[in-house]
Parts: sequence; structure tokens; C-alpha cells
Amino acid sequence: MAYQLIREWTGIQQFPLATRTKLIELLGKLKQENVNTLTILVMGKGGVGKSSTVNSILGERAVTVNAFQSEGPRPVMVSRSQAGFTLNIIDTPGLVEGGYVNDQAVEIIKRFLLDKTIDVLLYVDRLDVYRTDNLDKQVVKAITDSFGKQIWRRGVVVLTHGQLSPPDGLNYEDFFSRRSEALMRVVRLGAGIRKQDLQDFAIPVIPVENSGRCNKNESDEKILPNGTAWIPNLVKTIIDLVSNGSKAILVDKKLIEGPNPNKRGKFLIPLIVAFQYLVVKQIQRTIKDDIKKEPKVPWEVRSANPKF
Amino acid sequence: MASFGAQGQLFSPPLTPSLRPRRRLASSTPILKAGSSTPANTIKCDLSSSSSQNPESLTPKKPFFSLAQALAFSAGAAGILLRFSPVTPLVDIGDFSGGGGVGGTGDGGFWSRIFSPAAIAKDEESQEWDSHGLPANIVVQLNKLSGFKKYKISEILFYDRRRGSVVGTEDSFFEMVTIRPGGIYNKAQLQKELENLATCGMFEKVDLEGKTNPDGTVGVTISFLESTWQSADKFRCINVGLMPQTKPIEMDADMTDKEKMEYFRNQEKDYKRRIDKSRPCLLPMPVYREILQMLRDQGKVSARLLQKIRDRVQKWYHDEGYACAQVVNFGNLNTREVVCEVVEGDITQLVIQFQDKLGNVVEGNTQLPVVRRELPKQLRQGHVFNIEAGKQALRNINSLALFSNIEVNPRPDEKNEGGIIVEIKLKELEQKTAEVSSEWSIVPGRGGRPTLASIQPGGTVSFEHRNIKGLNRSILGSVTTSNFLNPQDDLAFKLEYVHPYLDGVYNTRNRTLRASCFNSRKLSPVFTGGPGVDEVPPIWVDRAGIKANITENFTRQSKFTYGLVMEEITTRDESSHISPNGQRVLPSGGISADGPPTTLSGTGIDRMAFAQANITRDNTKFVNGAIVGERNVFQVDQGLGVGSNFPFFNRHQLTLTRFIQLKEVEEGAGKPPPPVLVLHGHYGGCVGDLPSYDAFALGGPYSVRGYNMGELGAARNILEVAAELRIPVRNTHVYAFAEHGNDLGSSKDVKGNPTEVYRRMGYGSSYGVGAKLGLVRAEYAVDHNSGTGAVFFRFGERF
Repeated sequence: MAYQLIREWTGIQQFPLATRTKLIELLGKLKQENVNTLTILVMGKGGVGKSSTVNSILGERAVTVNAFQSEGPRPVMVSRSQAGFTLNIIDTPGLVEGGYVNDQAVEIIKRFLLDKTIDVLLYVDRLDVYRTDNLDKQVVKAITDSFGKQIWRRGVVVLTHGQLSPPDGLNYEDFFSRRSEALMRVVRLGAGIRKQDLQDFAIPVIPVENSGRCNKNESDEKILPNGTAWIPNLVKTIIDLVSNGSKAILVDKKLIEGPNPNKRGKFLIPLIVAFQYLVVKQIQRTIKDDIKKEPKVPWEVRSANPKF
Repeated sequence: MASFGAQGQLFSPPLTPSLRPRRRLASSTPILKAGSSTPANTIKCDLSSSSSQNPESLTPKKPFFSLAQALAFSAGAAGILLRFSPVTPLVDIGDFSGGGGVGGTGDGGFWSRIFSPAAIAKDEESQEWDSHGLPANIVVQLNKLSGFKKYKISEILFYDRRRGSVVGTEDSFFEMVTIRPGGIYNKAQLQKELENLATCGMFEKVDLEGKTNPDGTVGVTISFLESTWQSADKFRCINVGLMPQTKPIEMDADMTDKEKMEYFRNQEKDYKRRIDKSRPCLLPMPVYREILQMLRDQGKVSARLLQKIRDRVQKWYHDEGYACAQVVNFGNLNTREVVCEVVEGDITQLVIQFQDKLGNVVEGNTQLPVVRRELPKQLRQGHVFNIEAGKQALRNINSLALFSNIEVNPRPDEKNEGGIIVEIKLKELEQKTAEVSSEWSIVPGRGGRPTLASIQPGGTVSFEHRNIKGLNRSILGSVTTSNFLNPQDDLAFKLEYVHPYLDGVYNTRNRTLRASCFNSRKLSPVFTGGPGVDEVPPIWVDRAGIKANITENFTRQSKFTYGLVMEEITTRDESSHISPNGQRVLPSGGISADGPPTTLSGTGIDRMAFAQANITRDNTKFVNGAIVGERNVFQVDQGLGVGSNFPFFNRHQLTLTRFIQLKEVEEGAGKPPPPVLVLHGHYGGCVGDLPSYDAFALGGPYSVRGYNMGELGAARNILEVAAELRIPVRNTHVYAFAEHGNDLGSSKDVKGNPTEVYRRMGYGSSYGVGAKLGLVRAEYAVDHNSGTGAVFFRFGERF
């Protein structure tokens, strides 16, 4: 698993011409900035369409998608190269199991990511869900706890099932903005982003539609109800994010395990011991005082001195 | 010969050697023998009516029942006997046979009719005493009675000639008479009685007459004239112990007046000298003042007043525990000053002797300094014997746990009049014991419920070698397993060597060295699930190692222990496989072994050496059975960087407990204990390497009640606070409590964060009420995290 063959990105050929040109143009821009690899981490709850999104981006069936069963419990990295540029996409298992964040899944993902650099995080959820709940927050929190708050500077919220007809009386744009707002609130809460830091954490929200029945425009690109071709849009957002000056997240041992609490303050131990020595001495003194002060029974005092 | 009262003379008739009746005045209180030459002067000290033969002292010692130890005081033949029988078995042979005896009387109606002594009793009775053989209702002088008859006394009347009335039985003079109504006496006995009364100095004149009754019995009337002396306004109490009794010169009846004057003057001079030589008394000023008041109120000094004074003085002595103190004489009567002579009971000698099982004096194995250092110095030569000091000695010696029977016995010193020899008789325990006991084991299961582990032959083999070299050094070892068929599973062993008096047996510094080699197996509270979490697979923490420490006892409760521990810690799962990580149950039902690491090394086996120090300051005491005071414990474990992964850490704990008495109460046996407020705080923290088994677990009967062990979390730093209010009810108490435990956010600082992995809160409070039923606490505790309550039964005290 550790070393997967980096295959030629053949999927790109599957895209319509318009999309392909845009992608190559975008990647070329990245290459100009001397960036040769891009690693994208895809995370989210189970069954929201993470793997489908990965497949859509790559334009091939790189990871297995099953309509009813969640994918295997292991993360998968798919690497594709195109003209000297390598695109890595890491698909992860769903983080939620039985109404809880599955710590074990998080643990496995963390270990999988060890010594890798994450350029972009795609946090995937569905557009066609009306509510957010505490579980969403927990998921965001789990991600934040694992990789640190900074990962959200490289985060993109991806909303799948983008081609929906909103409920009555709402137009698509309205619905989208309200859904993304609700989700952003959750992300802000879960990641612990404060109001004043909002500027630094401008997390883009991108709707996608992975279904084969996705509408297409005249140049055969998959488009959303608002008319945007979403694949180039997503890739553009990703690349903009990469070049926004923030740092990629290198997942090292320290990040996974957190600071080693066993090391902290170790150098202070001699001082602590010295202090404790004084405390013990002080208590000893108090005990001696106690013995002196102890009230004596009359007979003890009276015959303290023998008479002959 | 009944009237004395010469100027400045002794109150007692010095002409007769017999001091007996006067002494016997106080025969109801423990008094030692005064040591006069006649055997009649022997006075027995009777402390209680219990028999002097305490059957408990014969029972063999079993350390098992050490809780049932009791202080038993019983009367010795010649003195007060403090006897300590450390053992009171619940069932012994004596009890059994006693039960049989009861059974015998129960169904023994038939036998009792046959063997009933009642039938013969009548004949015996008629033979026991003789009828007076005189006409009824005539007054007979004592000397007119027949010397050959045994008279039955029907009643005794005291007739005060001065007052012209009969005094009641409550009068203080009554206690001086030894004959009792209903008793049978012959003439000689009655004469002796009269003589005694006449010579005691209380009466100027005393007569005894009989009055015949129609049924053949005799009523006795004692008519007397109470002695009086001129009034006094000074009082003095002197200690005449260890001084020879005055041996007065016979006063010749036909001395001339001049000779008499000379004689009296001599006596006066002698008495002055005696007073000067005597030592001051312990009697405090308030009592002096009280007695002076009595003298002032009374005007004339009468025999009754002297009796009162004697009673007051003796009462003070006995109340203060000077059980051998006794007023022996009043002197200097007919002067302005009353002199009260007291023998306080000075200790002239302290004897320690060892006895074998049959009570024969033997040479003991224990070295005497070991016993001697336990004795309060008030029991040494030159002090006044005090029963409290005796009790203290008894307790101290008992705490040595070397003797099966301990007696502290003050005995009059024959060679030194008024002196006391304190005898300490000790029966040594067997030096070497070995014991095998087998049992079924009940182990705490999940949630603290007792579970019968299995029906397997389990048990303990132990041996003990006590009191090596007579210096109370001991080696003890034990091996315990719950299954002798398969001992490798859970073999627990312990081998310990205890070496007291590290600084020498004569040094007052009391340090004890303990070295031991041990193992133990405990369920780790770190790997426990929080509320609502399905069973977390348990982790057992096995420790095996060696330990050496020195304990210095400052007081009975306050002490300082420091030492070194080297141990190997192995963490195992349920099936005894070494597990380097905790396990958890996956939602799918599977078990994954990738939980938090159990050891520092990550292999499941850690070795480490650390230094340990523990200082306890304990000022608690019992007020009518309720504990009051404060107790502080500070403990530090300092890792030395020796062992797996070079563990270097400083783990420290501070426990503060206050028992605040809320109401002043009178102290004494049977008095109700005061309500007590208990405040308790416990801080635990660790800097440096912290393996999971050393993390502080929150929750449990000794942490936060109402939760299971470790149910709240396992953290690097913890703080627990508790308050409990105890209200006495009858013989026990009920209490209400509130407790809180907090990880101070340090759960994440334990590697692997077991608190979070097992979904625990990291903090929690509880409150509840409970009652103490003997050793068991029954309590209802509400767990504040979930809001549910439960009833718990626990052994022992929380604080």
C-alpha cells in the first residue's frame, strides 16, 4: 500500500475538451509556481459521496463505489501524473459509525497519512440535506484535532448532489447559500475558528454533482443548475487555495500524537524535588510542634519528675 | 481502752499494733497492703467483682481475631491486675461446654428433682446455727452470751448515744461493721468485732448488746459515742509512703503525771519529725480548699468528719487513677491542724517477667529493653503508681504483637512499707508459625459486585518467624493462589523482613526498616469504560519487585517513610496474555488491540526503579468514638531514570482531611459522639514519564463515590474534593456527602488519552446519604453526570 504505482493520468482524456483545456491550463499555472505535486485529502461522513467525487475529479473509476455499502475501512491514495505533474488524491473511509465519530477510523487515517504532505482538504457533505447537527461538528472537530486548525486554511467544503431542485419557493442560489452558511457555521464551531480569524479562514464552498445524469452544457461539460461547469471550478478553487500563501500540512509523528506530555516539564523535576524536600521538612517540623503541644494527661505531668 | 485523744496525738490508737479495722474502712476501693507485721493487715485490692481467673487468658492466640481484643481488668489476689488478653475467639471450648451446661439445666427437671439439694438443705440449716436458748425479748450483754453457740444475727442497729437515736444504714459508720444481718457468728467473733470497733479510734465508747428474738435469732445493738476533737482550721496532707510506721512506746498505766507529760511531748516531737520527713502530696489546691471548707463548716472535728475527709481525699486519688493511694492515718488531732497521712503507692521496683503457657516464670526470648522502651516513664521506680500509666503500658506492649497475654500487676512491696512493685507478666507468642488456609475466593467482578470466582481449592500458605534475637525482628512470607491446581495463573507471594529499632533499642528514635519482595495483581482502573460504554476488556496490572523502606514513627499516627522500589510491571489482558495496548470493543463487536498504550516501553513489560517518600501528619483522636482532628499525607514517587525507556518522573500526591467537631460534648464512656464535618481534598500530579498504570484514576469508593473505579477518567493531574457531615444516631452515625473529582484537563496528557478513548467525562460529582452499620457502610449515592442513584455497600471508611 505504501508505494503505489504512479500511473499516467489517462482519465483526463475522458473529459470534454473544454474541461481538459481548462485543467491543463490550471495545472500549468501551478507548474509555473514550481509545484509538481498536489495532494488532496478527502474526508467526510460516510455515504456523502467522497469516493464518487474522487472518481469524478480523476475522470475514471479509480476507487470502488458501492451504492449501499460503505467502502472498506482503509484510506486509499490514488496518484496520477500528467506531464510531470503528480496529482495525489487520498480517499478516506467515513468518519461516522453508529452515531459517533469513529476514533479508530481517524486513527487509521492519521497513521496512513504519516509523513505525507496535505495540500488541500476536501470536506465533503451533501447539499441536499437541510439540517446540520452536533455530529457534523464532531466530525469537523475530529479532523481539526488530528491535523490542527491550520488545515482549514487549505480546506474546501464540497457539497455533493449539487444538481437538485430546491424545495418550493426557494431558488437554487438561495438554497445553496443557506446550506453552505449553515455548514460553515458548523465548521467554524468544530474547528474553533474565532470571528476575528474569519478572514484567514475563508473556506470556499463548491457544489458538485457526481451523478452520470448530470446536466451538460453545449461543450459537454458537466454543469450545475446555475450553469457553472463544476470540475474546472473545483480544480480552480483548489489551485487558488494552494497559491494563497498558506502552508501545506506535513503530517509527522508529532502532529499525530500531539506533543509528548511525558517530555513536558521533565527538566523541572530536580527543582520540584528540591521543593518537595522542603515541604517534607516543613511537615516534619510541624509534627514535632504537634508533639510538644500535645495536651498532657494530669498524671503524666504530675509525676513527670520522680521524687527519689 | 476505747478513748484516746491525747494532745497532738495520733488519731489511731497507737498502742495496739492492729490497724486493721481502720484500714478496712476502704476495702471497697483498691488499696494495697499496708505492710504491717500482722497478717490481718493484708488488704486486698478489689477493683471489680469479676473473678480473678480470667478464662480468656488461657485461650490460644490466633491473629485472626485481633480486632476482638479487649482490655480486661480483674481483681488480683493482692493488688490491681491489669490483664490483657489479646484474643477473644468467637467460639471456644469454654463457651461450648457452657452451652452444654445450659442444655443440661433445661431438660434436667427430672435429675434436678433427684439431686436437688433443697431437701437436705433444711437439715443443714438447722444445724448451721444454734438458738440462743433464752427467753425472748431480753437484752443480753455480749459477755453473757455462750461461747459455744453459733448465733444467727437477725438485725444490727446502731445507736448513737450522743444524739440519742438509732442511725440508719446510710451512716458512714455502718461500713465499719463486718458482721451482717442474717450472718452466723459465735461469741468470739462478736467480741473481736467489738474490739475492732473500739480500737479504730472512731469511738470514744462502744458497746454491743444482743436482744433475743422468739425465733432463736439475736438482734444486735451497737451503741457508741463518737470521738470528737477540738476544731481545726488547717489541713495538711503528707505522703508517708516508704516511711516506717510509728512504733509507739507502750504507755505505762502507772506513769506519773510528769512521765506522762514527757511521754506526750516525745510523741509530739516524733510526729513533728515525721511530718518534716514526709514528702508532699499530689493532692491539688482545690481539694485542699474543699477540705478546709469542710473543717470550717463543721466546727468540731468528729470521727465522721474525718471519714468524710478520708473519702474525699481517696476519691480524688482514685479518680485520677492513683489506685493504690490510701489514707492511712490522721494525726495531730486536737491541734489547729489536721494531718492526713497518705500512702500514695510509690513504685519501688519494676519487674518484667516472662511466663510459659502454664504460668511458670521462664527466661523469655524477648530482650528486656524492647519491653522497657514501651513503658511510660511513670511506671518506673520513684513514680506514684497510676492505673492510667498501667493501661498505657498495656496498650504499648500489646502493639508490639509479641505476647499472647500481658499483665501489669502492682503488688505491695514487702520490704518497703507502702511501696509498690509493678510486675509485668508476659506470655510470649510462638516465635515460628506456619499456617495453611484454604478458601473459595470471592472476587470483585464488574461494577464491584462480588462474584464467586470459581470453586477451586485456593488458599494461602504462610510462615512467620517473629521476634528474631528477641529484638522483634521478623521474617514473614506467604504464598496465595486461588487455584492450587494451577498456581501459575495468579500466584501471589510476599516475603518481608522487618527490622525495628534501627537506631538501637536504647535510642528513643523509632525507625523501622522493612525489606520485602512482593507481587500483586490488580485490575487497572484506567481501562474502564465510561457511562453507556459497553464492557471494556479489562487490563490486569501485575507488579513484582523488591522494596526497602525505612519508617520513622514520630507518634502513634504520624510517621515518615522513605525507601526504594524496584519493580517489573506487566500488563495482561483477560486471558493473561501480555498486552502492550488497551483493547476496545468495536461497534461491529470485534475487539481491537490498539487502544492506549499500557506501558511506557510499549512492550507490555516495564521495569523501573523509583524512590518513594511518604509523610503522614495525623492529629486525629477519638471523641466518644467519633474521629476528630486532621490528617495530612504527602507522598512523592521519584523516578530515577533506571529501567525501560529510562523512566524519569515525579509523581506527587497531597491529601488533606479535616474532621471538624461541630459541637462540644462531654467525653466519657457511653456519652454520645459529636456531629462531625469532614472536609477532604486530594491532589495528585505527575511530571515526566507517566505510564498508564501510574495515571490517577477518578471515580470509585475512595475517590468519587457513586461511580465505579476509574469511571470518570484517568489523568495526569487530578483534584478531588469531598465533604461529609456525620450525625450520630444511637451507637452509630448517618452521613450525607458531596464529592467532586476533576482531571484538570490533564486526561489528554496521558499517552493515548484513555479517558477519551473509553468515552469518559474526565470530571464528575456525586452526592448521597448513608449509614454506618458496624463495619459496613450502606450508602445511596447519586451520580451527577447521569443523575441516577444507586445503593452501595462498602467496607471500611472513606476517609
